[in-house]
Amino acid sequence: MNMIELRNVTKIYEDKTVALKNINLSIKKGEFVFIVGPSGSGKSTIIKILIKEIPVSGGAVFISGRNICNLKTSRVPQLRRNIGSVFQDFKLLPNKTAFENIAFALEVIGKPSYVIKIQVPQVLKLVGLEHKMHSYPHQLSAGEQQRVSIARAFVNRPPILLADEPTGNLDPATSEGIMKLLSRINLIGTTVAMATHDKNIVNSMRRRVVELEDGEIIRDQKRGVYGV
Amino acid sequence: MFFTAISTVAITLFIVGFFLIIIYDIQGILTSIKSQVELAVYLKDNTTQEFKDYLENEIKSWDEVSEVIYISKEQALERFKKENEGSEILKEIQGNPLPASFEIRLSNPEKVEQVALRFMTREGEFVEGIDDVIFGQNYVQKLFSITAITGSIAFLIIIMLLMAAIVLIFNTIRLSIHARRKEIEVMKLVGATNWFVRIPFIFEGFFEGFIGSLISVVLLYFMSNYLLIRGEKAIIDTLHVKDLTILGPNNIILYIYAGIVVLGGLIGILSSGFALKRYIRV
Repeated sequence: MNMIELRNVTKIYEDKTVALKNINLSIKKGEFVFIVGPSGSGKSTIIKILIKEIPVSGGAVFISGRNICNLKTSRVPQLRRNIGSVFQDFKLLPNKTAFENIAFALEVIGKPSYVIKIQVPQVLKLVGLEHKMHSYPHQLSAGEQQRVSIARAFVNRPPILLADEPTGNLDPATSEGIMKLLSRINLIGTTVAMATHDKNIVNSMRRRVVELEDGEIIRDQKRGVYGV
Repeated sequence: MFFTAISTVAITLFIVGFFLIIIYDIQGILTSIKSQVELAVYLKDNTTQEFKDYLENEIKSWDEVSEVIYISKEQALERFKKENEGSEILKEIQGNPLPASFEIRLSNPEKVEQVALRFMTREGEFVEGIDDVIFGQNYVQKLFSITAITGSIAFLIIIMLLMAAIVLIFNTIRLSIHARRKEIEVMKLVGATNWFVRIPFIFEGFFEGFIGSLISVVLLYFMSNYLLIRGEKAIIDTLHVKDLTILGPNNIILYIYAGIVVLGGLIGILSSGFALKRYIRV
């Protein structure tokens, strides 16, 4: 079954930039896919479309077989609860501890506090930060901050995890740790799509690679590498 | 941010309220002067009782007239003596040189000229038996145009002050929301519904508006009780104006207080509602 499917998707921004041209892409349940390409090739646009942060200009997008293009605004939160997202800039709240940042994600979707008290330490253990539960983002290294943000994205056990340049701000050694974490999350059965232009990571992982250039897919390769 | 918003609401609404009180008082003074406009119709000395009765009934039948008082020659002299008590002029008076008169008050002071004209013939002379009609022609016309102009200026000032207040409060609340846009972004990303994001901000906006307006009412209360009330007392003593904001019979000041609190709460809710629109669309 296709977890994510883009059919003839086109995106033209308001300033007339064409970000995506007629994209067709299917990602199966449990797959790990790298979306690679230079800056401006349309990687982030795909991520934004999948979480319905921006609408498509043409075509259709299916998540778990459901067309999200005609999703009502009131149904968008439901969609996002099923998609964890991780970003280059972590998007952590600076005035909240690691624990609180993750708990916040559960609070806003209405999880009761006893569930939060169980789930947050569990997910912090998964990302290896149980000892830094009460640290604030500024007390954590960049790699640790990204782990917290992954923990937040995954705490609700979404079937899909999207990552937009998650290692963009990290050194190679730290990036490797993050990739191990994402692989582990993928092994549990989560579909992972990661936009990146980090050559070393893509080459060392040998996963499916979808390469974009000027908004078009120019390569889709199983167990691929960054460049041909 | 919370306190900035509260003090913005308090200060702006205080200014609005202060001007409302002042403007209401000025309008009260002007309308009271307007209603004091009256005609004096002086009768010739040789008129008969029948003519006097006939004229009184005639005047009373006119729609514009609210009150007619007959002042006989004797009453006129009494009054004159009272008004000039102790003055040299009383010694000069021999007999009674003062005419009898009708004092006419109008329900519609703007019609004063039309009413006065009824005592004139087509040739421009006074009707038989009438000596003179006095109503301060120039003064009355000017007064009416002044009240009309001050009325619209006052209205404009209040509208402009209100708009300034609304814009200021809106911007302050928008800034406080802007400062928390990251929080909103994260909430939206992890799947919070729009109402879940909105409600705390709307509550906050309401509290800022409500508490700010309460503070402005307290400030206005002290301002009126220690400062404005003295002015109004002076106005009552000298001009005999009744319809004033604080001391008047209609408790206008209470309506102003209530209005400010309602307005504060509403502006708070609406400002945060509108300001959120931009950030909630993630």
